[in-house]
Amino acid sequence: MDIDDILASVDRHDPSTPESTALDHQLLTRFWVAERGVSELLPWPGPLMDRMMDRVRRQIETIEDLAATSADPTTTTPNPTTNLTLSILQTDLARTQYTLRSLLRQRLAKLTTHSMHYLLRISPGPLPPSQSQDRADIRPEDAIPALGTAGAHPPLSAPEVAFLHAHQRLLATHYGDAFLASFPPQLRRLDDNAGGTSMVQGPEGREVVFVRCLVEAVRVVVPPGDGVEAAVVGGTAMRMGDVWAVRWEGVRDAWGRGEVEVL
Amino acid sequence: MAFPLPRGITPPEISFLAEMEMVTILPRQRLEGLELLGGPVEPLIPPRRASLPLWLALLLKRQRRANILPPSWLHPESLSFILDIETQYEEYKDTFSPPPPLPGQPLLHDRGELAVATPRYTPDGEKYYAAPPFLPQNVARDHVPPQELQTLPFHWLEVGNMLLDAASDDLVEPDQTRRLLKELREVRMAKIRSGVDALDAAAMGGGGVALTGVGAIELGEGRRFISGVVDGLRRIGASREQARREELAEEMANGGYDATQDDDDEMEF
Repeated sequence: MDIDDILASVDRHDPSTPESTALDHQLLTRFWVAERGVSELLPWPGPLMDRMMDRVRRQIETIEDLAATSADPTTTTPNPTTNLTLSILQTDLARTQYTLRSLLRQRLAKLTTHSMHYLLRISPGPLPPSQSQDRADIRPEDAIPALGTAGAHPPLSAPEVAFLHAHQRLLATHYGDAFLASFPPQLRRLDDNAGGTSMVQGPEGREVVFVRCLVEAVRVVVPPGDGVEAAVVGGTAMRMGDVWAVRWEGVRDAWGRGEVEVL
Repeated sequence: MAFPLPRGITPPEISFLAEMEMVTILPRQRLEGLELLGGPVEPLIPPRRASLPLWLALLLKRQRRANILPPSWLHPESLSFILDIETQYEEYKDTFSPPPPLPGQPLLHDRGELAVATPRYTPDGEKYYAAPPFLPQNVARDHVPPQELQTLPFHWLEVGNMLLDAASDDLVEPDQTRRLLKELREVRMAKIRSGVDALDAAAMGGGGVALTGVGAIELGEGRRFISGVVDGLRRIGASREQARREELAEEMANGGYDATQDDDDEMEF
């Protein structure tokens, strides 16, 4: 156990305190901006979202209680600021709900754009070689990988996994019914990689993002690929407070460690 | 269509973020403390000052329940000082004036000191470093230490314009302020446009282009253009880059590569 872990366990606080509420709000806001800014789906922040949803639920109850009290004619001393308090609480709730909604919809948009890519990524292993390859009844749905277990598969949450699977099944059936059924059987698959080019497209990790460096120094890396096995570290370092336009793949790990934020 | 907006936060979303900046108000009426989803709000007791998120301060201001104390940078004197930095100094001819330091970052003139970032820990045990809009860059301060230079915060244009719209009677010389904000904006826009030459550095792997000091809305406006140019350059240079990578792989296989030697140099904007 190193000193950071000890500090973390001391600093880790009870999620019901106001400070923890403020911190979670900041984390959610930063995650939302990052999810909006990068091309690929970021890992689902499960515990954070659970805490946020729980707080939203409790806040709605508080607002309903307060509204009921203020509408009750039998209360003897009406509080003059109840209406103001109510409108503040409702505005705050609407702002949080907006952030959550925008975040979830952005994730769904990424999932539907690259549905096959994410399905292949979360599937337990390579597909068993299809025996129906030569048969005439090959269908586009056959390309959909089966999921090993129900539940969350990083980077997706459990509901997103269910959505993605249902979405791709519907889409494949529709393509099949609409036009793929009239194609020769070997042309019907949705994950064809004939000629060395895969039909399954993923998000482009080399797209540029804008980041701010939050620690003393962060170096941009070039991840392995194109025959180079190890990651190569770039020549110059971002210094604290710097805002840079860099490739997302070059700062993805630093983002995971919380050392840069996406703007 | 699950989501119609383009990638990267759009200007309305940027002003939504700017509304989370903390500002100082002078309440005109009492209000008990509230537990909001964005964090607790301290009780309002006139004539004691309080720090609130901008959206809440604007809501109270519109109902004439509070006055907003403008941040020290939103003063004609500070703004013309920053405008001088942006236009007069050779050092800042192509770059933006420096942003306010993050917590732990040394002030501008003692460059010798090292930056020390101290993290907080999230409930999940991860490190968290605060950044705008969650730093007190827009609160009013009675006493600004003389060695501290005036700087433009990340959300300067949004906060400035929102305060000019809703609370111009709380500002010092609002017309002068508006004019200076407009001038600053034009000077900085010209810098963004003239910096296109440097963008090639971000198109290569491991390289990047520094835009330090840029404002949120300026980034929002330039985002489509900058990322479009960089991605276009990347596609044009893709085969060249791949050839270089293959050369590198060969060199590494021969054991002759020194990982620190790299010709992607930082380019200043």
